[in-house]
Amino acid sequence: MKKILLVDDEQEFREISGKFLAHRGFDTLQADGCATALDLLAKEANNVDVIIMDVSMPGKDGIACMAEVKATWPQLEVIILTGHASLSVSITGMKQGAFDYCMKPVDYDELLEKIALAREKAAREELTSESIE
Amino acid sequence: MALFPINLKDFFSLEKPEPLSGEELQTIFQNRYQLFRRLLTANNNALQAMAELERMYYGNSSYRMAEINSKITAIQINVYKMVNSLLEMAEGKYTGLETILDQISHSLEPILNQKPERQQGPFIMPLSEVSLEERELVGEKMARLGEVGRLGLPIPTGFILTASATQEFLNTELIDEINRQLQIIDPENLDGLYAGCHTMQELVRDTAIPSSLMEEIYASFDLFFKKDQKIATRSSALGEDSAGVSFAGLYATVLNVGRKELAAGIREVIASKYCPRAIAYRRRRGYRHVDIEMCVGCVAMVNAAVSGVLYTRNPNATQEDKGEEMRCNAVEGIGRGVVDGTRDADLYILRQEPFSVMERRLTGEHPLLKEAQLQELSAAGRKLEKHFAAPQDVEWSFDHDGHLFILQSRPLQMQEHHEVVETGNNHPAAPLYHGGITASDGACCGRLVRVDKAKQAGAFPADAILYVEYPLPEWAPLLNRAAGIFSSGGNEAGHLATVSREFGIPALFGCGDVWKKLEEKHATEGEFTLDATARSIYPGRDEIALRRQHVMPSPMTGSPVQLILSEALQLITPLNLNDPDSIRFKSTFCETLHDITRFCHEKSVVVMFNFGNSHHFPQAAAKRLTADVPLEWWVINLADGLREGIGKEKKTVSIEDVVSVPMLAIWRGIAAFPWEGPPPVSIRGLGSIIFQSTMRPELSPDVAATKLNARNFFLISKYFCNLGVRLGYHYAMIEAWLSELRTESYLTFRFKGGAADMQRKAVRARLLADILERWDFSVELRGDALLARIKKMPMDFLEDRLMILGYLSLHARQLDMVMDRGETVEKYRQKFLREIDEMLAREKMKKETNNEKDSPRR
Repeated sequence: MKKILLVDDEQEFREISGKFLAHRGFDTLQADGCATALDLLAKEANNVDVIIMDVSMPGKDGIACMAEVKATWPQLEVIILTGHASLSVSITGMKQGAFDYCMKPVDYDELLEKIALAREKAAREELTSESIE
Repeated sequence: MALFPINLKDFFSLEKPEPLSGEELQTIFQNRYQLFRRLLTANNNALQAMAELERMYYGNSSYRMAEINSKITAIQINVYKMVNSLLEMAEGKYTGLETILDQISHSLEPILNQKPERQQGPFIMPLSEVSLEERELVGEKMARLGEVGRLGLPIPTGFILTASATQEFLNTELIDEINRQLQIIDPENLDGLYAGCHTMQELVRDTAIPSSLMEEIYASFDLFFKKDQKIATRSSALGEDSAGVSFAGLYATVLNVGRKELAAGIREVIASKYCPRAIAYRRRRGYRHVDIEMCVGCVAMVNAAVSGVLYTRNPNATQEDKGEEMRCNAVEGIGRGVVDGTRDADLYILRQEPFSVMERRLTGEHPLLKEAQLQELSAAGRKLEKHFAAPQDVEWSFDHDGHLFILQSRPLQMQEHHEVVETGNNHPAAPLYHGGITASDGACCGRLVRVDKAKQAGAFPADAILYVEYPLPEWAPLLNRAAGIFSSGGNEAGHLATVSREFGIPALFGCGDVWKKLEEKHATEGEFTLDATARSIYPGRDEIALRRQHVMPSPMTGSPVQLILSEALQLITPLNLNDPDSIRFKSTFCETLHDITRFCHEKSVVVMFNFGNSHHFPQAAAKRLTADVPLEWWVINLADGLREGIGKEKKTVSIEDVVSVPMLAIWRGIAAFPWEGPPPVSIRGLGSIIFQSTMRPELSPDVAATKLNARNFFLISKYFCNLGVRLGYHYAMIEAWLSELRTESYLTFRFKGGAADMQRKAVRARLLADILERWDFSVELRGDALLARIKKMPMDFLEDRLMILGYLSLHARQLDMVMDRGETVEKYRQKFLREIDEMLAREKMKKETNNEKDSPRR
């Protein structure tokens, strides 16, 4: 099974989410910001299918980062994470190609459900592109 | 889009397209089906968030802007997903929807982010020069005090730091940090609230007032007071002018402030905007922090001999006395002990016209107030009540020379009247305690919890009865959770008494050694009834006393947050696109987010349905269900809802061909009992239908005939089913997605319409709601429209509920016409409950028999 990339500058969130997802049988990669995420994807993009990305990060924010990711790896599905202060940003994120969004603090049942649907979509698109070829 | 490797437009052209292979068509269909599922899930989520917003708006509980924002964002995102999915499914059609969604989103933004417009003015204004007209500059309290002075009543001298001065002090950096703190505070978590408030208040206390402003403040001090004069710095907030909202005792007053302590005294008042009780109160009453701006009154200390509070009416008055008596509480020295409930006060009950002292309840041997002083107070009270055109809550002092000063006059919180319940000998149970002063009327039941320190507040359980030694204003955050409150000290005139009346929480103060007495009787464990009106505490749940429970209007009524939600809802929930057959059922007529969801849902079903016909794809085309049940039933197999091997050209299917789990469950409900035919309708009932048909052309017999014969479609896959039923004049929709992933499972039932008048249709909807609530559905009811849903439950649980929906969809048809008599409603209620029980019992037995057959023999 492919891995999930967690992108968030909050170490505590990455650790808790990484442990939770590992417990549910998911492998994760973790990045503390956009630059690290892009570096990781340059090496491992083929092994990743879903990215969970916080919209509020120092440096390049989650929406700008998603645009860069999507430009190079359009097949990756991105679930953005927003707080109350950045709710309107999540609408922008959806318009710019995010698969879905989750509110922080994260309801992990909801996140799991969205990961499952994102994976389903990623797998379907992979199948479709293979059938074209 | 990569999703469609083949240009589907070719298939819609008039020319015969090149035939596609079965696999190619299957892929296209699967993609479209996934989009359809995504659209349906988004529809479900959007409608649920809309229902939650409406429940907030029409309900009796408080809500915050953060909750409104998150729900509206969820709605917008889900509507966006629906539009996106429909555009992909419909290939180039309905592109105008994106623009409409954008327009609605742009219109919502300024509504949600609106801020009160603040009037700019001087930093300092003399108290003697202000009136109610300046309330937007100097705050409600000082504006009213200025007004009192203008009436010719004596007030202390002083000046006011205006909202412009406070804004000058709260520089950008400070306010940004405060806003950051406010965002992370959860007012429900009292421990977190106290800690966060402490941080914010310290930030304000540690920030220097700009020197130029401070110089102006000192200059004013020197102008109004002698150098060694002691003053009081008093809060006066902007935005507190809503009727029925007291803001009593929320903010700080600092007494005996000298010239040297002036800056600290001012900062303390400004910091009190961020104290726990003020934040909890604003949250409950629907005020954002930005709605309130603090001003500071700097007024001379009165060298008080006697002080207190005068109520120009009795706030707990019964219908009989109409509250025409005045009530005056008095203590020696300054009045703080009265308003914070820490001192026992003399109580004088006065008749206004002609003046007389009806009763004196003294704390000492001699009255603190002479009759002449009471008369002077009474006259002042009458003048204030007349001027402000409402009963008043007046703070006053007499100085040592016998001069009266009015320190504050604000509207008195009157309490709603209650049923008078006989007490004493007529009451069957003996109270554990009888006594005290009714501070707020009513009765409640719960366990008793004593709180002595702020640290214990976090653990105070919801709906318990709070006991405190003194009713200090700092306990106000607990009133958001408490069912009632009683205390050893205090009186009816304190700030906490005012807030209790405002929140409709029964309060019994001044109960002396009540806790000791209860402990002696080993009576502090278990459940108790506090009857504040009868001044009694009973063991257990006392139903007689509890008749006095309050039904309060929403605490948010008229608040800025409620007004914002009201404005936003107008762009979200009204449904203008009701009839898919209407020529106005077009994307250009979508005015609200609800319209867009309705439009997308309807069109997505059409797109799915047309797919089979347009693509010569028999698996997707509708097949008629042959069954011995009234109405025409058709099945559209979206994916794997029929058993393998059903011929592509086959035009009909039987129920044995169906493998869709939710459809089979619904069908078991439909087929459980034969339909008895339309109920016998009285002349009145028929008259109503004829009248309705006249008023609504779509109900005329010619038009309706087509609707009565309309096909009812099951859209199915193995675990999904969407059933649209047009039964006569009403429309029902059942949708279910059953999944092993419990978070994904849901079941929705919508029901609306009928041929009878609105009252009878509503009675039928209420009858269905009652039955569904009994079976664990969460139900929303508005007029004749019913929405019931269950989420995140196991599959067998949902199958049972689907059977109930199938049963009701068939058997509730045309019932609206006979819903004019209580006994008929009851007859059908009993019939439905009996048959549902029988149906489920039969199902259970069948499952058990099957399990026995399947289990290996011993």
